[in-house]
Amino acid sequence: MDAYDWQVIPNNLQFLMQGLFTTFQLALVAICGGLLLGILVGMARLSSVRVIYYPATAFVNVMRSLPLILVIFWFYFLVPLMAGRPMGDFFSACVAFVVFEAAYFAEIVRAGIQSISTGQEQAAYSTGFNYRDTMRYIIIPQALRKMVPSLLTQAVVVFQDTSLAYVIGLKEFLRSASIVDAREMRSVELYAFVGVVYFLICFTMSKLTKRLEVKRGHA
Amino acid sequence: MLSYNFNWSIIWTEPYGQWMLEGIWVTIRLGLICWFIALALGIIIGTFRVTPFRPLRVFGAAYTEIFRDIPLLVQLFFWYFAAPSILPKAIEMWLYRGLPNSEFWIVVVGLSVYTSSRIAEHIRAGMQSISQDQYHAALSTGFTHFQTYRFIIIPYAVRIMMPPLTAECLTVFKNTALAMTVGVLETTFMSQQIEAYTFQGIEATTAASLVYMGITLSVVLIMGFVERRLAVPGLITRTGGR
Amino acid sequence: MIEIKNVSKWYGDFKVLDNISETIERGQVVVICGPSGSGKSTVLKCLNGLEKFQQGDIIVDSVSLKDPATDLIKLRQKMGMVFQRFELYPHLKVIDNITIAPIKVKKMPVKDAVKRAMELLERVGIPEQADKHPGNLSGGQQQRVAIARALAMDPEIMLFDEPTSALDPEMIKEVLDVMIALAKSGMTMAVVTHEMGFAREVADEIIFMDQGRIIERGTDQTFFENPKSERAKDFLNKILF
Repeated sequence: MDAYDWQVIPNNLQFLMQGLFTTFQLALVAICGGLLLGILVGMARLSSVRVIYYPATAFVNVMRSLPLILVIFWFYFLVPLMAGRPMGDFFSACVAFVVFEAAYFAEIVRAGIQSISTGQEQAAYSTGFNYRDTMRYIIIPQALRKMVPSLLTQAVVVFQDTSLAYVIGLKEFLRSASIVDAREMRSVELYAFVGVVYFLICFTMSKLTKRLEVKRGHA
Repeated sequence: MLSYNFNWSIIWTEPYGQWMLEGIWVTIRLGLICWFIALALGIIIGTFRVTPFRPLRVFGAAYTEIFRDIPLLVQLFFWYFAAPSILPKAIEMWLYRGLPNSEFWIVVVGLSVYTSSRIAEHIRAGMQSISQDQYHAALSTGFTHFQTYRFIIIPYAVRIMMPPLTAECLTVFKNTALAMTVGVLETTFMSQQIEAYTFQGIEATTAASLVYMGITLSVVLIMGFVERRLAVPGLITRTGGR
Repeated sequence: MIEIKNVSKWYGDFKVLDNISETIERGQVVVICGPSGSGKSTVLKCLNGLEKFQQGDIIVDSVSLKDPATDLIKLRQKMGMVFQRFELYPHLKVIDNITIAPIKVKKMPVKDAVKRAMELLERVGIPEQADKHPGNLSGGQQQRVAIARALAMDPEIMLFDEPTSALDPEMIKEVLDVMIALAKSGMTMAVVTHEMGFAREVADEIIFMDQGRIIERGTDQTFFENPKSERAKDFLNKILF
């Protein structure tokens, strides 16, 4: 066992933090984009219009049966093809993540809306509300409140998932550490550092989420 | 539009077809081995979390929390690149030189441990959802604690936990794809290998996608069958329609 | 005012309503009773189009429900409904529960809607609860708010689906009192309930249903004193000690 040289971390701190920043950027795009698309797909999954329901359902089922890593490769090839020119790995990663995570957000949205009892729907209809107003004023406000814990949990998952952008060479946090490792050969120190940083961030986020649930009486 | 020549036949042309088949076989083996190890470990850790014995509970909680808050890929990297150098030099040498397929087995360790922490969480939730009164009812008829667990609690808990466990099984198979990053020759690795040789990335990745969809479908069908065999009439474990 | 003509409804293979026919005149109070699963709630929900039926027709004020051109939304504005589980909107204050439909559907100005809502809350006896959320009210109070909410749209008919079944015994009276006052003020009402005291007080007609059919009809005297069918006799024996 060689002695550990923890200096490798402060020595390369700027480079590593740059990687962490990229991770945050990708996560932010993935969460926001995925949520927006996920809301649309989730509502489509509840539609009684076949042309809307079947594609949405197929999309969700396909995405949830594929490994994210494969989807990342997919879009890595597909995006430049569709755009007609190379778009860079960050852009391809963003597209892959938004599309992939949307399927998961969609299920949360769908479950949230379905969890509001049909009695609420009937009460609104019985006073003469139409579909749009019922959704807008009665169902969706309640559903959103219920969905928040699951959405936050999924956001933490997305944050962790960004590490997979490693495979297309994107210089996110993990890739940055492995680049330093290739140079310095300090695997234990570097990967322990990565693990600890991820742990601190995700642990804090999930504790905050739990506190939020307790405050709202959802625990 | 960048020009791209589609050539779907590469999927079954030798040697690429053979590569894919080998990759599929590795994926299935990896998934099954990790699943069963994780199941065993997960049941133990999950049970730790509900025992009245505090040190076990704390250990279980810490175990679950650590492996849940670090991305799987980071964990695999740690096991593969970092962990062997912590071990005594002899073991490290054996791992890197002596053991055939060491990447495979290192991933088995990493993926099993990760998955077991998730399964432990499901076990804990399932067991905690069984009301105190069930225990009391059983004990009041003269059952010992052990008998209560064996005849009443665990059979019931297993049925409640089927849906989340099915989801976890699917996740394990999907997670085997991460093994490609440390050189395990599974499905995703092979598909990218084919791409490197033929530049037909779309075809190769589609082929791999179909494989995973097939695996997912099979798991859902098998678990569905198991669930139906074990089902208790009148016990609703899924939220169905109205 | 409401004519139900030979209505039948199936859920898959299960016939939940079997050739139901009935007329409800303006100002009448009709009570529907019967064992669970007899289809009584289903009949009520067919009246305002919340449930669809396969055979027959329902005509409300010369408007046919079977006609695809019928605007159900407009129709529902004329009918108010009160549910067994109250179904107040938990994320809105009591006052907002009552005013939201008049404001959004009828485009009533907010000030007028609030004034009317407060009048209705007075009428059901709980004006002081206006700013609370439903979760802070007792069951009986929630149901009275639900009645006020339904009345806020100025309906011509009120439909009640087992309004007191989910209430603790002490709270049943306060809700029934409101319903009795409403009946006496001339409102047309169709009420699914087991509360025979209520039926005795204000019902013009009592319908007994079982397994999707109307088994017996009567006024409160004829039905309670002298039930004709075996099934009705059996039912009354079981619910009245």
